[in-house]
Amino acid sequence: MSGSMISGLEGRYFMPRHIVLLAICALLAACGPNEVAVKGQFPSPLMNKLPLNVGIWYDESFRTHEFFDEAKGRAESGWIVKTGEAQTQMWDTLLPGMFSNVVHMRGKPEPGQMNQAVDAVLIPHVDELQYAIPTHTNVKVYEIWMRYRFELVTPSGKSLAEWTMTAYGKTPTAFLQSDEAAVNLAAVVALRDAGANFATNFTRVPQVQDWLAQRQKRPAGIAGGTAGNAEGSL
Amino acid sequence: MKFATVLRSALLTLALPLTGCVTATVDEMVFNAPVDGIGDASVVILGRRHASDYETEPDFIECVGDHIAARDKAITVVSELDFINALYPWFEPRTAPLYPEDLEKLMQQAPVAQRLAEMRTQYMIWIDGSTIRTDSAGSMTCGIGPGGAGCFGFGTWGNDSDYEATIWDFTNRAEVGRINATASGQSYMPAVVVPIPIIAPVQGTACDSVGDQLLKFLSSEH
Repeated sequence: MSGSMISGLEGRYFMPRHIVLLAICALLAACGPNEVAVKGQFPSPLMNKLPLNVGIWYDESFRTHEFFDEAKGRAESGWIVKTGEAQTQMWDTLLPGMFSNVVHMRGKPEPGQMNQAVDAVLIPHVDELQYAIPTHTNVKVYEIWMRYRFELVTPSGKSLAEWTMTAYGKTPTAFLQSDEAAVNLAAVVALRDAGANFATNFTRVPQVQDWLAQRQKRPAGIAGGTAGNAEGSL
Repeated sequence: MKFATVLRSALLTLALPLTGCVTATVDEMVFNAPVDGIGDASVVILGRRHASDYETEPDFIECVGDHIAARDKAITVVSELDFINALYPWFEPRTAPLYPEDLEKLMQQAPVAQRLAEMRTQYMIWIDGSTIRTDSAGSMTCGIGPGGAGCFGFGTWGNDSDYEATIWDFTNRAEVGRINATASGQSYMPAVVVPIPIIAPVQGTACDSVGDQLLKFLSSEH
């Protein structure tokens, strides 16, 4: 490395500027934020299905949800945690195990929108995501915390219920485990926790309880309805 | 150059069998062990993960399971991940039963009761605890240059393991045993050109201690 030129393959010379360029590229890469696109496997819930025909609508912000945290100082690095794909994967696995029928809506439920006939449409939102890694807390665990907001609406967008729910996931440090892998694992645990929280507490949400009670009071045959005109069908 | 190579090889060879010392203590409190082992039923070992400041390591749970399965082939140990996936969402940190009486409520759900019957789970063992680094001292400097690379210095650190295993009898919905294992040890890493790790296998010793005690409980051969 001390000479001005380094002998390369086939007798050609590898200029030091190439090495400098490579070093600069490596340094620049090291300065970038840590990026995690959360990936995991999510099991289907083992429970009695609720006899409901539920629609699901994911907003663009939910489908492509990502969290960005800028580095606070030179010693720290920024983080981008992309959860959108894993979110939809988890909810698409969970909901069909909870309800007798689940459909993806053609459009966002709102007045005049032609949609499938369902009992209600669930719209999940991720309102907040926080993370902690051992360098932040001096505790030997990686953590992810999320706050969800759910809207339960009619196919024409009338609100039936709205509530928030938190989810938390952590994973211990492990030998030879990178920060990215640990944050991914913590996010998967948080998503599983979100599913567990939702599945076990859905019928305990007061507004949902009221809605379910109203449905039970109605004479048989009224439940269900037509797309775009479902206000009275619930 | 030759001397350095020989020195490195010698140091590496010396380092291989070196391990630090570990002190382990096991407290056992068994209420009702099966006389003839668990027969053809299965056992599942699960880690407690509801504490905020630590988490029972999944690899420790796997280690205890492997320890039992390797020493008594008749015992079927269900993998932790397979079990919690098969019974999702009832064994997540948020929803897992904390007391044997909670199993009764869980079994009222027909799909859960059916799945557990299919798995023939006789005993559920909850392990709670972790291994922590207690102290560390020393310093080490490593460098790289045209002539090679090397380190110089000395480092030492301690590890403490503390685990408690609680055995639940699934059939009777009762706690039938409790084992507590602690282990501590000091690891060293002197470095003269090559770092020589002298690692105290603290977590491994705790795993063996818990595994041996559980074997006495579960196996008719031990």
